[in-house]
Amino acid sequence: MRRRCAPHVLPAPASGCSGIKLSATRSCDSWFFFFFPPPFEVESQEQSGGGGGGPTARVVSAGGCSLFSSTLSRSFVARRDFSLQPFPFAMAGAIIENMSTKKLVIVGVILLLFQAFAFMVGGLIAPSPTTAVHYLATKCVDTVKQRQETKWFMPWGPNQCDKIRTFDEAMAKKIEANNIVFAVHIPLPNKEMSSWFQFMLVILQFDIAFRMHNQIKDGALVTIDVSLAYRDDTISKWTEMAHSFEQRKLSCNFTTTKTSENEGRHYECDLLPFMEVGSVAHKYYLLNIRLPINERKNINVGIGEIKDIRLVSIHQNGGFTKVWFAMKTFLTPSILIIMIWYWRRITLMSRPPVLLEKVILALGISMTFINIPVEWFSIGFNWTWMLLFGDIRQGIFYSMLLSFWIIFCGEHLMGTRLFAAWSLERGQVKMCESGLPTITELVTELGSHLTNNLQDQTERNRLSVYWKQVGPIVFGSFCLFIFDMCERGVQLKNPFYSIWASEVGTELAMAFIIVAGICACLYFLFLCFMVFQVFRNISGKRTSLPAMSKARRLHYEGLIFRFKFLMLVTLTCAAMTVIFFIISQVNGGHWHWGEHTVQVNSAFFTGIYGMWNLYVFAIMFLYAPSHKRYGDEQSSGQCITGDAGANSGEDNQLTTTITHVDGPTEIYKMIGKEAQE
Amino acid sequence: MTEEYVVRCVLMLCCVLLSANASNWLYLAKLSSVGSIRDEETCERLRGLIQRQVQICKRSVEVMDAVRRGAQLAIDECQFQFRNRRWNCSTLESMPVFGKVVTQGTREAAFVYAISAASVAFAVTRACSSGELEKCGCDHNVHGTSPEGFQWSGCSDNIAYGVAFSQSFVDVRERSKGQSSSRALMNLHNNEAGRKAILSHMHVECKCHGVSGSCEVKTCWKAMPPFRKVGNIIKEKFDGATEVEQRKIGTTKVLVPRNSQFKPHTDEDLVYLDPSPDFCDYDPRTPGMLGTVGRQCNRTSKAIDGCELMCCGRGFQTQEVEVVDRCSCKFHWCCYVKCKQCHKTVEMHNCR
Repeated sequence: MRRRCAPHVLPAPASGCSGIKLSATRSCDSWFFFFFPPPFEVESQEQSGGGGGGPTARVVSAGGCSLFSSTLSRSFVARRDFSLQPFPFAMAGAIIENMSTKKLVIVGVILLLFQAFAFMVGGLIAPSPTTAVHYLATKCVDTVKQRQETKWFMPWGPNQCDKIRTFDEAMAKKIEANNIVFAVHIPLPNKEMSSWFQFMLVILQFDIAFRMHNQIKDGALVTIDVSLAYRDDTISKWTEMAHSFEQRKLSCNFTTTKTSENEGRHYECDLLPFMEVGSVAHKYYLLNIRLPINERKNINVGIGEIKDIRLVSIHQNGGFTKVWFAMKTFLTPSILIIMIWYWRRITLMSRPPVLLEKVILALGISMTFINIPVEWFSIGFNWTWMLLFGDIRQGIFYSMLLSFWIIFCGEHLMGTRLFAAWSLERGQVKMCESGLPTITELVTELGSHLTNNLQDQTERNRLSVYWKQVGPIVFGSFCLFIFDMCERGVQLKNPFYSIWASEVGTELAMAFIIVAGICACLYFLFLCFMVFQVFRNISGKRTSLPAMSKARRLHYEGLIFRFKFLMLVTLTCAAMTVIFFIISQVNGGHWHWGEHTVQVNSAFFTGIYGMWNLYVFAIMFLYAPSHKRYGDEQSSGQCITGDAGANSGEDNQLTTTITHVDGPTEIYKMIGKEAQE
Repeated sequence: MTEEYVVRCVLMLCCVLLSANASNWLYLAKLSSVGSIRDEETCERLRGLIQRQVQICKRSVEVMDAVRRGAQLAIDECQFQFRNRRWNCSTLESMPVFGKVVTQGTREAAFVYAISAASVAFAVTRACSSGELEKCGCDHNVHGTSPEGFQWSGCSDNIAYGVAFSQSFVDVRERSKGQSSSRALMNLHNNEAGRKAILSHMHVECKCHGVSGSCEVKTCWKAMPPFRKVGNIIKEKFDGATEVEQRKIGTTKVLVPRNSQFKPHTDEDLVYLDPSPDFCDYDPRTPGMLGTVGRQCNRTSKAIDGCELMCCGRGFQTQEVEVVDRCSCKFHWCCYVKCKQCHKTVEMHNCR
């Protein structure tokens, strides 16, 4: 039997943990994977005493384990493979460990190239994501008193309605408010709507002039009788799509003093959500809005002197939709293939998949779910639920990602804790002398710890352990789902519905959002707490550092440095992401760069989306079990070959070269044997 | 009859050419008899336009209704803003709408030019939004490279079109005369300042429409301020207008503040060349100079609407008038007011 290190009990460098902590940093995690485990090498050249050119100790411990004997080399090079295994136990022997630095750099560069490509596609090819179009409602006069069929009022073009310019004109002509119809044709003349626009939402704004004697009453409600019609060519009849009576609360304030001097100035009113349709299947839409007055029922009384109705319609730009679809269509197979590949590797292993592996698969599935470009159907079919469906898909992915972070972190945290406890308890770190087919008491001891670990592992290898952390995620996203169903779900039936329009609705919506917010806070508290624990472990180790042997100290310092480095990279990424987000929000939406116009918002969307995909891709690729681990047990013999002597002198030479390390499976077997014996 | 017509035309042409008043097109506001400007022939018949403006009219007939509304808007706003001043923006029914008051390069002229340039931009933009014009937005600087235009990347803001039209239509007169005269420079500057009053006070409004209405996806747009606000801004600029003179710097002629102590004006400030007359007395030689005789004034005010200043020291007469006022009214949002009639006596002060 060989002496073995126990990779899984070693602290994870918390690659997951620190990556996770910052929810805002989603994007950076993929970068992090480019940076963190692979390409970085700690080289600490130590020149001690007289002997300059001692043999370089190359510690390559892929299993994550290096128990140093007290012997130490003068110069000590920790390669990246030396990094402690990010996945305790379960993931030992993942590709990330077994890959050479060069290959990892190549993978990283390729992913970065794709990332840059994703940004450029959005920034240079796609137009801005959405367009807002202004409409000023035309005031039509409905002259006929009672009629059978509904008449549609066109603001312009042939068969346009009888228009009035101002209401003074109406006053002179003795036209009543109930006979005035505000007509808006979407789009403007000579344009056509297209199903590439994906969705259309309309915002309503009233221009209300201040009059001393006709002010807006507090909490005034405006009741809108609105109907929406469509047609697909310019000559056919309008077909009614929806008709509804809606109430909206006017929240207007008058910024200057309410004196007769300031009569005629306009109130500043909040935007009112008016309409939302989840698919734009028709070419022309027509809105007819009435503001009926009923004094007895106190309808539309005390809403001030309305001058105009303005609408703003927002739709996704066709160009952006096309770029987006193209991206989805390209990404779906990539993620799908890597997912199948990943799961094949898992199933090829002799042991059943552990929780973390399942979670990664689930992450892949939810990513694929988002990626599948079902939106292509919205071009041909009038599927208004597409908007809602998109929300659900995103929600599933977000909650999956958050769960993944917490589980990833949790698994590592326990490993860290165990390792710390274990190593401190031992009081001495021993070099793993692999390649020597001798059993020492170290292994026995190690074995007992490992079996403990195994028990622990089976215990925490269940989702139920994480109910505290995952619970808030599930509950929070469920709340948001209910909220979304209340808003966009109802809008499938009535496009004019808004949950914010009624008192009860507003309270309900706020309740859902607040609960979701509390859940999010809880989640981040847990996450922060976990990261804090990792840090505490680190500082715990730090206090014991001076007492440690040099090799061990170096090892820990490397470990701490790695964790800190990771934190730094993650934070930098987070900051970058947040900055980019803010830029895209604050900036007018595009930058002029020479002759090119860079669409910052589009670049943000495609870039972030691409980043997520690359992130999931990288996780599945790098954390898939390495094929070096299963199958050929014989070939994966040596752990560490070195001439680590039994001498305990600190300055003794040490040449440790790990030619190859195989996964823990063997160790378990060893332990198993040990236990049997 | 034709002879008479020709003579009249020639006279009018002379009149148009001689007067330095480029705001003659504001006379459009008075042309209610013309009805809607629908065809190119109507353009020829419009009084107050110079030849280049007629060409623009012919080229974009559909916009002319909006221009006319803009002219009306400018006059209304001018009268509102100047209601308490000695010159209250009163218009004449004859050709130079404001008489000869704005023929000199005074502050008032600066205001009139600024407000009229702004009003055209405003009215054209509004017409765009209500779908009256077919050329808006998408014709001009579409920010997508694709020929698919609207479907690919949407259209640019209507305000860009409105301002561009205002520039071509309102500024054309000064441009045709060349940039040489100081008056042309002043007019161009004030026109631009008027348009800037809109452009730099567009307020950005945003709507979040991401997942569950979150701000992950946000769309912002610029909304035009109400015209009353534009009027107020330009009025403020009027109060702080800079007196300038023409100076030659290098080969170009520029306007610089007459008093070198003052800091140079910005693009948004109004400038004027000549000090304003006091507008106190009726001057038959200057049409539009109506004087303040008979104007109502505020006895308690010390400002320009106060009787001291308004009446130019001529004193005022007070009389008690019984006014029938509307009170305890019931309003609808439109077109309906039901009031009781209240009688009350008020003191009215009028300038002698």
